[in-house]
Formats: sequence, structure tokens, C-alpha cells
Amino acid sequence: MFQAMGAHGPTLSPLTSVLLDVVLLGCAFWLLAKPTKRPIFDSLFMLTLVLSVSLIRVVMQPIPNVQPVTVAALLVGAQLGARRGAAFAVLVAMISNIFMGDGWWTVFQAAGWASIAIAGSRLSLVTSTGFNLGRACMASIVAAFWFDLIVSFSILDGTIGFTEFIVYLGHGLPFDFLHMIGNLTFAIWMGGWFTRLLEEDPSLEEIEFAVVNGHGIDG
Amino acid sequence: MALLFASLFLVPAILAEAPSTPWEETHSFSWEYNFETGFISTSPLFIGEQLLVRTSGHAEPSVTAFDLSGAKIWEHTNPESTNNDMSPLLHVPAGQGQCGSWPEMVLVGWTSGLVEALNPSDGELLWSTQSEVVGWGVTGELALDGAFVMIPTRQGIGQYCLADGQQQWWTETGLGWRNGVAVDETGYFMGDEAGQLWHINRTGVATSHALQLGKIRHAPLFTDAGILIHAQADSGSTIGIFNSTNATLTQQFPAGFSPAIPVLQGEYIVTGDSSNMRILHCSSVCVVLDEIPFHTNGEIGWFDNGQIFAPSNLPDSNWGFFTFDDENNLTYSSIEVGLHGYGTASPIQFSDGVTTFTAFGNDQAILRVYSNFEENTTLSTSNLDLGAQLLLFGMFVLLGFSSAFLLNGKREWFLRTSSLFALVLVVLLLPDLSSQWSKSFDEQFSEPASPEEWNEQWPDAWLGTQIIIFEIDGEEYSAGGFVGHTDVLSLTQVACEALDFELSGESTELGWYIDSINGIEGKGWEFSVDGSKGIISVDQSMVFSTSIVRWTPV
Repeated sequence: MFQAMGAHGPTLSPLTSVLLDVVLLGCAFWLLAKPTKRPIFDSLFMLTLVLSVSLIRVVMQPIPNVQPVTVAALLVGAQLGARRGAAFAVLVAMISNIFMGDGWWTVFQAAGWASIAIAGSRLSLVTSTGFNLGRACMASIVAAFWFDLIVSFSILDGTIGFTEFIVYLGHGLPFDFLHMIGNLTFAIWMGGWFTRLLEEDPSLEEIEFAVVNGHGIDG
Repeated sequence: MALLFASLFLVPAILAEAPSTPWEETHSFSWEYNFETGFISTSPLFIGEQLLVRTSGHAEPSVTAFDLSGAKIWEHTNPESTNNDMSPLLHVPAGQGQCGSWPEMVLVGWTSGLVEALNPSDGELLWSTQSEVVGWGVTGELALDGAFVMIPTRQGIGQYCLADGQQQWWTETGLGWRNGVAVDETGYFMGDEAGQLWHINRTGVATSHALQLGKIRHAPLFTDAGILIHAQADSGSTIGIFNSTNATLTQQFPAGFSPAIPVLQGEYIVTGDSSNMRILHCSSVCVVLDEIPFHTNGEIGWFDNGQIFAPSNLPDSNWGFFTFDDENNLTYSSIEVGLHGYGTASPIQFSDGVTTFTAFGNDQAILRVYSNFEENTTLSTSNLDLGAQLLLFGMFVLLGFSSAFLLNGKREWFLRTSSLFALVLVVLLLPDLSSQWSKSFDEQFSEPASPEEWNEQWPDAWLGTQIIIFEIDGEEYSAGGFVGHTDVLSLTQVACEALDFELSGESTELGWYIDSINGIEGKGWEFSVDGSKGIISVDQSMVFSTSIVRWTPV
């Protein structure tokens, strides 16, 4: 479904590209700003995370359709919540595409990964007993096909009919399969470590609140 | 585990250097000649210690003779023949008959309609005769019949004296293309583009049989089961067996796109197409004995020693080497002869009495000659690819660890090593897998489209050939008359060359992407094949023998 050569969807004018980037960036900041303002360390952590995953995506570009971002979005959504997961997805898509080629498809990539992050936040991939590898593997398989489907919509420019689109999707199945295997590998190798990295330690305020609350109940 | 062990056997096939074939182990490069332009579309000919090669295309079409060391001896050119010449050279031993006597000669049929008899020793023109031209002249295989040569012309067949080239008679048949002639005791058989099989008796009376299998683009083959035809249609091809006694088709075998020219040895026939090479046995009926996936669309060389060679008509491809054993198995191996890419000419094997030579030529107009030598059992390390060997070693290690972890109950590490192994395997398989998948998918699900229409302003010579149109600044630039191209990239390259357009593109893991045509980059280029918009890379998009490709700037 993804990256078929010869079809890249509509080409954007420079002005439209800038507008699109502004809108995407606005979405990301809006998602990060709400519902509460984050401490500076949280923001720095998010920035580091976005830059690191973007860099990994750029470095892995020569391998077709092996997308570490998909699993990362799934796990960021699971650990940091839907909002920060979606913001992470939008920012990674934008930043990595500065190096890999920006265009109409960036919107679809951002939407694809953001939806995966939201799904990740709802799938209980991390429970009280820890990282649920089996569920994460299943989710990463589905995420591969879902993301490739979403991105495939970017080729619809009004000249491609339904049958052509289905044929286009059919041609991409080997690449979808590779995306799926890549996701599985990332989930198995990095899933546990990445979720622990993203695990939020409770703040002093939260600890104090819990302790006081506990004493109050005891009293 | 079963999957892993199955993969274990796949890995060496993917990574390791292709194992040397018996042919490669016993042959070494001897010499090569680069014609620089044009194509070698037909098999060379070996006559009297000389190798004769015909080249064609828009460059100077010629027949060139070389000695066994590769020195050029003579060259004969026909500047009027500007299309691809596909009629094989025909060796005629000296003889005499009704029209007189003739020396040993080589007959050359040109697409300009000219047929020439050349002295093979010095290229001297012995006689020539002009046959009809309807856009194209002679494209099929000539045949000898006693004192005569049978010449298949564009719309008919003529009988000519070998002694002086005088026409005895000419009879109209259907519009033909590579319409080779076959001779039997009743007269002559040939096919046409309308799918009719023609029988012409020795006085020139023609009768036709509408087989409705598709275009017949080779000389029919006589088998005990009937006349074998491998006919080309838009949806594939069919191998048909025709009983000329009761004028019925007795057997049909479906086959792939763009059939090659079938060859016959005794009761065995080898056919090829864009999907498979196959071998049939024909006695009272024909039976397919075996088939092997391979892409070939031109001549097939089948030599007395049982070796079968076929050019793979694909970009960056090697040659196919086949053997057929006593248990009816057709085996295939790819051989490296230093010529890669499109090709339709069969190689030739010949001997000077001491050494056996094999000469290969392809669409790059490079002739490479190999000679055999005693088998050298010393392992050469110069061809070892260290990177591939290390990767192979790494994969075996992964597989080993994976199995060990599984047996020791270490589930997490088993999953890690096996998933990494699977990822590497799929990455390595992907280019071939996606290419084959796309082809199969296209063949199964090619959608109906409103085809490009014939433009009355185009020359007749383009009828029945591949045509390409470029839309530039609101104007259409067309080039046509191309044959034998199987994908959009190859056709586009040759058309740009013909129109003197600069073509630039890039090769990616997913195929070729065209960046600019004639210096125009714009917002990209789109193409359509016979009205269907191209949605995969240009080197994976197939074209058929009469396809019209249109390039449009986005």
C-alpha cells in the first residue's frame, strides 16, 4: 500500500506546504498543551523522544517500509496517553519528513501514526503486571496494515478510481507484510525497554497527595 | 520450527554466490565485440571458421563476420533497413537445382523488404531481391525447399530461386510478423497476426484456418501429434496442436504472456514466455513434461549436447541455462556471461574441431564469446562476496541461537532471534517477492480500460508494434515501430533515444522512478499503458507487443 513508485498523490505548492506544516505543528502543540501545562523536564523528554525516533526513521530509510515509528507511536500512546502520543506522532512525521521528503503524504502519515497512538492508549498494552508482549505484538501487526491503508489514501487525487485503488493496495501487500514483520521485531526487542523508558515516576506532589490521602483515610 | 528450518534452506539460495553451473565451470571468456549501437536480436551463425552476427535498430543495420579470435573480417550494411531486423540469418550450402547452381551463401531478410544472398567468406553480394513492404518487410524465418528459398513477406509468401533470387510466385496471406515458414511434403505453413494458420501448396495456392488462439509469430512446428503453434493473445498465450488432416485444434495448453519462439528436437518441444519455460513431449498427443519459472520472449537455443539456453528478457537479468534429464525434469540455472538486461537472441555453439565456443549477444549490441576448457577443481576465492558471506553466517548464527533458545525454553530470546531472522529474510526477499507479486497481480486483476486509439498520422510501419507518446507543452511526440520490449522502462528508454530526448530517473529498492523527460521535470510524470494508468514502477509495469504507452506531465 505504501511507497509505490510513480504515484505520489497531489503535489503541493510551497504556500500550501507551509500552511499544512503550520496546521500540523499547531495540532501537536495543542495536544501537548492540554489539559495541563507540562513541566519543563517533561517537554525536554518529549523533544528528545521525538528527535530520537525521527533520527531512527531517517537512518532506517534505506530499508523499505520498516517503520520503527509505528511501534513507538503505539507504546508512547500506551504510556503517555492519547494526547501526547498523537502529538509525538505528528511531530515525528513532520521532522523526519524534512529529511525524507515533505508533501501531501505527511498529513496521512501523521494521521496514521496519531490514530495508532490513540489506539495504543486504549489497548492496555501496559498493565499493573508490566508490558503485555502478546497484546503488543497483535497490535503492532494490525497497526502495520492500518497505517499503510491510511497512507495509501494520499494517492487519491481525483483521477484514480476505486478499482485502481484496490489494485494499488494489492500491489503493496508485500510491503505491508514487511512492515508487519518489522513491527513485530521492534515490539519484541524494544517493547519492554521502551515502555519502561516511558514509565512516568510519580512526582513529589503526587506522592505527598497519596500519603496524605492514605493518612486521612486511616484517621 | 518447521518454518525456521524451511527458511534455513532458503537462505543460501538468497545470499550465497550463485553456484557455478556445469557450463560456467567448463567455459571461460574468450573475446567480446561491442557494436556500440543497435541490437543483436537473432542468433549468430557459424560458417566456415567465421562467426556472422546481424545487428539492427536505428543504427546502421548490418551483418558482420568475425574470425575465431574476434577480429572483424567483413561487414555488410543495409542503411535502408531502419527497423529491428528479426529474421534469422540462413545458411545455404552450395547446390544446384531447377534454376541453376549456387555457391555456399548466407541469406539475409531485411525489414526494408530486401533479401540478399551474401558470400560468407567475404560478404560479397551474390544476388538480391526486393519483396513487398507494408510498413515492414521481412521479419520471419526464411525456409529452404530444394532449389528455392521461401520468403515470408509482410502480407504473403514468395518462392525464390536460390541460384539467382528470381521470384517464382508470390501469394497473399494475412498481415504477418515474425511469420516464419515451415516446410513439409504438402507445401508450406505460416501464421499471421489475425491468428490464421496458412497452408500454401507448392504452386502457391493458399488456404487458411482461423485458429482464434492469437497471433502466430513463429514458424509452425511439425510434431507427430499435429502442428504446434504457440499463439500470443492479450490475456496470455496458448500452445495449440492443430491436426491439418481434419483441420481441427486437438489440444490447447494455456501459457504466459509474450511467447518465445518454440524449438523442436525429435519428439520434444521447448516453449517459453514471460512466465515459464516448459518442455512438451509430442507423440500421438502432446504432454507438458515440466515447466520452470523463467522470463523469455525471443529465440531459444537447444543444442545437440542437450543444453538449452534462453535469454532472459528483463532488465539486469542473466541468461537461463537448462538441461533436460532422463526423468523428464527440466532444470534451470542462471549463468553469468557478462551480458545483462534485455535480450531475445539465442546464443550459438560451434566448434573449430578442438574447442567448443558459445557466442552470446543481446539488446546492448555486445557480442561475447566463451570457449570451453578442462574443468579446474581449484576453488577460486576471487568471486566470494565477503559481505554476503558474513550476512549468511550471521543468519545461520541467528537461526542456531533461535533453535537453542526454543529448546531451552527461553521464550523471550527465542522470539527475539527468530523475529530478527524473519525480518532480515523478508528484507532480502522483498525485491524479488514484490516484483513477482506485482506481475502475478497484474496478470490476474488487470482492469479493463479504454485503450489508446490508433492515430491515422502514424506510419503504417508502426502497425502491430509498440508505440509511445510523450505529451510535452500541449503537443504529442510519438515514436513507434518498437518490438520485444516487455516493460515500460525499456520502451521509454528506446523511444527517448529515438526522439533524442534526455531521460533521467533513479533506481530505488522499489523499482525505477522517472524524474524528467527531455529536461522537463515539472511535478512528476505519469504514464498509462493502453489507457490504464500506471501505478507501479516503470520497470515492473508490463507492456505487450502492441501496447501504446502515454507519458503525461503531472
